[in-house]
Amino acid sequence: MPVIHVRMDNRLIHGQILVSWNASFRIDHIIVTNDVVASDPLQVTLLKAVAPLTAKVSVLTIKDCVTYCNGPEAEKESIFIIAKYPEDGLALVEGGLKMPVLNLGNQAFVRGSKKISNTVFLTESGVKALKTLHDKGIRITCRMMPADSEREYWPVVEKTLPEWAK
Amino acid sequence: MVGIVLVSHGEMAVGMLEAARMIVGPQEGIATVCLRESDAVEGLMERVGAAIKEVDTGEGVLILVDLFGASPFNAGARLAMQRDKTEVVSGVNLPMLLELCMQRGQQDLNQLVATARSAGTGGIRTLPETLRKAPPA
Repeated sequence: MPVIHVRMDNRLIHGQILVSWNASFRIDHIIVTNDVVASDPLQVTLLKAVAPLTAKVSVLTIKDCVTYCNGPEAEKESIFIIAKYPEDGLALVEGGLKMPVLNLGNQAFVRGSKKISNTVFLTESGVKALKTLHDKGIRITCRMMPADSEREYWPVVEKTLPEWAK
Repeated sequence: MVGIVLVSHGEMAVGMLEAARMIVGPQEGIATVCLRESDAVEGLMERVGAAIKEVDTGEGVLILVDLFGASPFNAGARLAMQRDKTEVVSGVNLPMLLELCMQRGQQDLNQLVATARSAGTGGIRTLPETLRKAPPA
C-alpha cells in the first residue's frame, strides 16, 4: 500500500517526524499537503530542505496530493502524508483518497479552539470534519509518537466536546 | 556584539544558558526560547522573533537550535530566511555555546558560524587511551 500513514499535524515536518516516525517506518516519500502551505514558497523551500536522507519531500495542494497518491508513481512508494488540520483530512477523503486511519498529531491552540489535551486543541469545524470521517468508517487515532496507543480517539472527542460532536 | 538566541525543545535552552553562566560568567545579549508541548508554530515564531529583536544590536543574530528540521529549527529558519544578518546553527551543545560566549566579543557573524561548527563538533570527545583502566595483568 503506497500511503502508509496519514497525520494531521500543525507543525508539519518536525522533530517527532524526523526522529521517531522515520525510524519506525520505511518512509521514502513525505508528502506535506495543505493548500495554504503549498502556495507559500518560503515554507515549501524550508520543508524540502529538512528532508531526511532516506526520503524525498513534496509539498502539494490537497487536490494534487490525491491525484499523486492515486497515480502509478505512488504504487512503488511508501508515503507518509502530513496535513495541517482535520479539515485537510476530510478534503483528502472527499477528493478520493482512501485511508483506513487518520492520525491526529499536534493540534495547537488556534482562535476558537477548545482543549482536549496538552497537544490537541480542536475547532468546531475540525470536530465536524472528524465526525464526518468517523461516520465514513475511518478510524481516528491520536498518536504523537509511534509507540502511542492506536486506540480509537473519536469517543474521547465526543466525550470532551459533546456540544460540537453532535 | 552579535546577539544569540537559544531555541530548544523543553527547558534545554534555559538550562544550557545557566550551565554556560556557571563556566564563563554572566552573558549579555543571549535570549532563550523554550518550545512547549502545546505551542503553535506561529506562537513559537513570534517568541523567537521577539527574542531576536531583544538581542540584536545591529551586528546580527545567531540562532542556536537543538535539532535540525525540528520545530525550533523551523521557526528560526523561517525568520532567518526573511531577515538580514541572521544565521541558524543546529545541534547546539555546551562546548559550542561556551566558545561562542568567548569569541563573540571579537568575531563577526560569519566567523561565529564557523566557530560554532568547529567547537560543536570538536567538543565531542571520548575518554583518551591514557585514561582508560589498564587491562588486567
